[in-house]
Amino acid sequence: MSDEYLWDGGGKPDPEVARLEALLGRYRQSAPFREPEQQASTSRHGRAVWIGLAAALVLTAVVGLTLLLRPAVEGWDVTALEGAPRIGHKDVRDRARLPVGGRLATDAGSRASLRIGLIGEAEIGPESSVRLVRAAATDHRLALERGSLRARIWAPPRLFFVDTPSATAIDLGCEYTLDVDAGGAGLLRVVSGWVAFDDDGRESFVPAGAACRTRPGTGPGTPWFEDASDSFQSALGRIDARPADPALRAQALATLLAEARPQDGLSLWHLLARLPAGERGPVFDRLAQLVPQPEAVTREKVLRGERAALDASWDALGLGVTTWWRVWKGSGPPR
Amino acid sequence: MERALELPIAALSAAPVSDPGEAARAELPLVLAARAGNARAFTELYGRWSRTVHGIVLASVPKQDVDDLVQDVFLQAFRSLSALRDDLAFGGWLLRIARNRAADYHRRATPTEPLEADVAAPGDAEEQRAREALDAIRALPPAYRETLVLRLVEGMTGPEISARTGLTPDSVRVNLHRGMKLLRECLGGGGAA
Repeated sequence: MSDEYLWDGGGKPDPEVARLEALLGRYRQSAPFREPEQQASTSRHGRAVWIGLAAALVLTAVVGLTLLLRPAVEGWDVTALEGAPRIGHKDVRDRARLPVGGRLATDAGSRASLRIGLIGEAEIGPESSVRLVRAAATDHRLALERGSLRARIWAPPRLFFVDTPSATAIDLGCEYTLDVDAGGAGLLRVVSGWVAFDDDGRESFVPAGAACRTRPGTGPGTPWFEDASDSFQSALGRIDARPADPALRAQALATLLAEARPQDGLSLWHLLARLPAGERGPVFDRLAQLVPQPEAVTREKVLRGERAALDASWDALGLGVTTWWRVWKGSGPPR
Repeated sequence: MERALELPIAALSAAPVSDPGEAARAELPLVLAARAGNARAFTELYGRWSRTVHGIVLASVPKQDVDDLVQDVFLQAFRSLSALRDDLAFGGWLLRIARNRAADYHRRATPTEPLEADVAAPGDAEEQRAREALDAIRALPPAYRETLVLRLVEGMTGPEISARTGLTPDSVRVNLHRGMKLLRECLGGGGAA
């Protein structure tokens, strides 16, 4: 179906676009502006502002008190999709409630769906164990102890977190899968939207179509697009494993750079901050060959780790501007 | 030694506008009159820009706070017009104020103030679907969510969005196309679809 209807309402209507217009039109702007002239007199304006502020303070106090006194969410709804998942020692036959602190486990023949508050849902795969850590309005948090889950979130970023033994997946919107093995190593694969993978400040930003491994003791690895060549992926894995032998490192790096495509700039950009100083230069040179860099981005600035230069280099990748997740960075709750 | 990729928090910004458009020139008398203290001229500017400002704020702020924040944006703009150096850049300046206010809103949010408080009344299925659709749009990258809110909520066309935001028509078209694609994926599994 052409995009003409989406573009300017012309052509044959796209049913889904039309449905969303009808659904969302209720939120359209409609409030009139309170003319400054109506508050032109200083005393009238001052009084109007004072009354407004007083009302706002009262309202805020009432709303704030209501929120503080509101009972905490007692847990999340669980639905058995297959077999009999367990919460603690009890089988879930159809529906149940997973309390905060409770553990939901599946065996080889069972799967479960978990409603994540009001913001999303997760499917828990077979042979998995998850614990509900927190169920607060700004911190929906699961611990994936082993196994797999697929999450779909329809809320603003940084409200849903999944702790694994070696990193925390921070949802930036909206769908991904996460697998953790018995040793605590994890594999994140993003279906749509973005996920930030974080362990004590070591961060990986993973877009749709990309994946990222995490290992106990090292945290999130370097993300890669899953359609990268096998040689690229293999070389990246060897680099992330940090072999002590410089010859092995050099060989892996040479293969990685030779196999990199423009879209693999995602991986190269993350490596700029992770590699020893002597190895960053060739990575940037290759990145600049694959992805034209803005004028403000110089080799020297990037190798020095200057923020503005790294920002601009990321923006050049065409994956979306850097600023959006940074606006959210300060709003996540502490662990 | 590895350094954390600590990128700076920067105000969300519209793409640069290389030349003032016809709309900016047509509005120039209003901007000059408003700068001189003519409140009715400013109200006229409100009428022209309120949908765009409302859409940008709605793209990231809970619904119950949007109208107040939009009023604040325009009040701030009215009081600060003397600081505007280029009268032809009124629109871009106004939208920067709007995005900064939205970012300030989130920076000031405390754990007792839920960010996603758009919850429909029980039993109102249509409202619930609308909330879920809006939340799904808000989960998209800013370039896509702003453009989609302006299109799907505020009812602006692509050319209007381009004229108001300063983005090129091609950029708006790409944002709409990619944003809608992501939105379909988000909603297709059984949210508000």
